[in-house]
Amino acid sequence: MSDRALLLAHAVLGFGALFAGTHHAAHAVLSALGKPQTRALRRFGWIAPVAVIAQALCGLAIYPAYRLRVRAPDFDLYAPAVAQLFDFKEHLSALALALVIGASIAGRSDDAPDARWPIAALSSTGAAFLWAAAIIGLYVTARHPL
Amino acid sequence: MTRAALAGISAFALAYLLAGTLQLPVLVYDPLARVASVSRTVSGVSMRYFGDLLLASAAGLATAALALRLRPRAPMPVAAATTLSLVALDVLYYLSRLLVTA
Repeated sequence: MSDRALLLAHAVLGFGALFAGTHHAAHAVLSALGKPQTRALRRFGWIAPVAVIAQALCGLAIYPAYRLRVRAPDFDLYAPAVAQLFDFKEHLSALALALVIGASIAGRSDDAPDARWPIAALSSTGAAFLWAAAIIGLYVTARHPL
Repeated sequence: MTRAALAGISAFALAYLLAGTLQLPVLVYDPLARVASVSRTVSGVSMRYFGDLLLASAAGLATAALALRLRPRAPMPVAAATTLSLVALDVLYYLSRLLVTA
């Protein structure tokens, strides 16, 4: 698969992860507010982590090409702030990966009332990081696509 | 299960931050030479993101597994606040690095 095809797959999977993570966060907050969301949390409890892991693997696969064809010849020389912005996106994505997987597993298996707000907080933070990473990713790709 | 998830995410956030700031030896990949090695520092186009992520994931999974076995009794709000504080610490650190460059 070419790097551009991988970038496209990364974008599509990224939006899938973004929307699945956001859905999980919304259902987790509703659950914390006392509205039963057991079925939705079970459903998005596997969709969200699968989508996040798939987009992360795709991102890791194109990272070497980004390093060689975008960062080294362009950002490192002419736009170091954009290179740092991309690094910040990668750090947010890494944290989102842990947060979404943790919240999804907990949301699927823990119905205890005292667990609802912590799960909602983890899931919402993960979704917020995914949104930030997606917006930064779009900006960086617009500056210099693969 | 939520306590185990909180413990795992805490360990992930801590290990991810320490791996970069303390320059711990991790897997480093040189995309030009297509060679992977274990090193503390990177040079040229080499990258340590894979290694940092791998180390943090291993720390998170191991801690979550340990928490499942030991069943910690810390109050849920305290555990959640600790986890989110560690995540916030990571974000603030990386944001400060971004702002210094910008």
